[in-house]
Amino acid sequence: MAFASDRTAVASRPRISTAALRSAALILFIALYTAFAAGPFVWVASMSLRTTTEINADHYAFPWPMHFEKFAVAWTESNYDTYFFNSAAVVLAAVAILTVVGGMAAHCFARYRFPLKGVVYFLIFSTIIFPPQVTVIGLFQLMVDYGLYNSRIGLVLVYVAIQLPITIYILEAFFARIPGDLFDAARIDGYSEWAIFWKISLPVALPAISTTIILNTILLWNEFLYAVVLITDDDKRTLPLGVLRFMGDQLEDVGMIATGLMIAIVPVVLIYVFFSERLIQGMTAGAVK
Amino acid sequence: MAVVTLQNIVKHYESGGAPAVDDVSFTVEDGEFMVLLGPSGCGKSTTLRMVAGLESITSGRLAIDHQLMNAVPAKNRDIAMVFQSYALYPHMSVRDNLGFGLKRRHTNRRLVRQRVEEVAASIGLTAYLDRKPHALSGGQRQRVALGRAIVRDPKVFLFDEPLSNLDAALRVSTRAELVRLHRELSATMIYVTHDQVEAMTMGDRVCIMEHGRVAQIGTPMEVYLNPANAFVAAFLGNPPMNLMPATADGGAVLLGGRRVAAVAAEGDVLFGIRPEDLTPTDDARAAVISGRVASLEPLGAETLIHVDRGDSTVIVRGPRVPSARLDEPIHLRADPGMIRLFDAATGEAIRLPEEAMT
Ligand SMILES: Nc1ncnc2c1ncn2[C@@H]1O[C@H](COP(=O)(O)OP(=O)(O)O)[C@@H](O)[C@H]1O
Ligand SMILES: [Mg+2]
Repeated sequence: MAFASDRTAVASRPRISTAALRSAALILFIALYTAFAAGPFVWVASMSLRTTTEINADHYAFPWPMHFEKFAVAWTESNYDTYFFNSAAVVLAAVAILTVVGGMAAHCFARYRFPLKGVVYFLIFSTIIFPPQVTVIGLFQLMVDYGLYNSRIGLVLVYVAIQLPITIYILEAFFARIPGDLFDAARIDGYSEWAIFWKISLPVALPAISTTIILNTILLWNEFLYAVVLITDDDKRTLPLGVLRFMGDQLEDVGMIATGLMIAIVPVVLIYVFFSERLIQGMTAGAVK
Repeated sequence: MAVVTLQNIVKHYESGGAPAVDDVSFTVEDGEFMVLLGPSGCGKSTTLRMVAGLESITSGRLAIDHQLMNAVPAKNRDIAMVFQSYALYPHMSVRDNLGFGLKRRHTNRRLVRQRVEEVAASIGLTAYLDRKPHALSGGQRQRVALGRAIVRDPKVFLFDEPLSNLDAALRVSTRAELVRLHRELSATMIYVTHDQVEAMTMGDRVCIMEHGRVAQIGTPMEVYLNPANAFVAAFLGNPPMNLMPATADGGAVLLGGRRVAAVAAEGDVLFGIRPEDLTPTDDARAAVISGRVASLEPLGAETLIHVDRGDSTVIVRGPRVPSARLDEPIHLRADPGMIRLFDAATGEAIRLPEEAMT
């Protein structure tokens, strides 16, 4: 007995140090990655509190004194209140449509068999293989033709179109895991297919629904390319376009760009902080009990 | 309340192959408890789901109370169904699960609430009304599923193996409760199971299915005592009926060279006798079957004696302490009234004259 336990003690000593080494390496990696990911954010945050003159003097200096008034200036004098409202309106509308239309489409793909299902599925998903740079010119022409160019409604429609495939994809995978008996039971309880979608599919799939809502909100809130191509009027711009205001031909007001960026970023960060747990839950959600 | 009539019902699934349900006809009378019994994959669930309106009917007529139902959607058939998986709505409390179907039909919230609480009390769910299904035990979930059907007071109750996810003890007590429920409600019920004990103990009548077809319909005793064919004989009973190849010469059945029954048939037949209708005897000449004791299975109340007769094994239900000894020869007498004969080619039962034994 004693002999055996001696041996395990000897064997386990190097193992402990290996484990410690491993976790040290892991912590180091995580720290580096965090610095890598958060560094630019911290830098922009510091610049948002400094004037361009200060920044030009020293790019990385600590923001002192803190110019909080720059936020007020951006909000009241640089039209950021309008941008914020535009962003909120466009994103809210797009996400609402995406959730309802995407949810219904996913419900159909997961639940019903219908003619040309494969073709419809392929058509919806074929759009995601083209990078936006390829389609944006054609899209621009299309929007002009339909009088949707330089309109917030046009932008909402485009946002719905670009996010629909991934929304359907996430929701369909979840809907397909809802046991069919649930729908049969609701049918027997006297409900129509339409009512079943609202009363069974959507509520049961709530984790997946909130995942897509958060994902779409964050992505569209930050969307720049389509917005810059499709919107020209200053009072129709969304927040990511707000930086254009501080970009002249000759001069860039770096300090104000940073302030504008912070105004744009903060809501996303807040959403993420409050909903990240739910987001992860939705992405990893197991089968429905 | 309701008569359910199936006439030549056929179901082909889109995936093709043999029909899942093939020319099934039967009538479930008002207030009758009809059990659909058969091995897995024989088409029981498909039949039930066609009655429910959850599967389309390829051909044939389905009527409830003499009204053609083929094209009526499930939601308008006024039936209730208990699923094997229970299919409780996971996002709703027990109260809402029970009331979901009622709310659709009655707008009076107070009446719905009252009815839900009344039914919950009758099946012992009152304490759990505000729980979600995931916080219930298997037995409690099963009760909710049952309650959801009862609350609706439907024309027809459909059950698809509702007890198969319960443990053995709970299954026995729930079985008894379902029988009591049927008596109290005197409702028309169709009950699908692969468990013959459930079928025998619960059914007013049993419909035994094989490969999508009806093998036999009758009261539990009828189908047990007089199987219409060799499939039913071999499916019912635990252990099932002994079936042995024999020949008929136009006047008598010869089993292992012995004349064992008088019959008008000729050719290859199957000689059938249930394990409880065989008794060991010392009189070798009176015996129908002779062999060697291959094994003894004491079950407590009785002992199963496996008799090796060369080309086949016969099982005998013996007393708790049998006189038979392992590996020793044994002679078996058959209760003459209990001998059953089947056509070896078609499996159909052959009618025997009243006094069969020669
Ligand atoms: N949705 C379906 N699509 C295709 N074939 C099916 C489907 N459901 C059942 N089947 C087939 O129909 C036959 C009968 O199935 P089922 O009615 O579920 O049998 P049981 O309930 O008696 O076990 C089986 O062969 C099964 O494979
Ligand atoms: Mg089944």
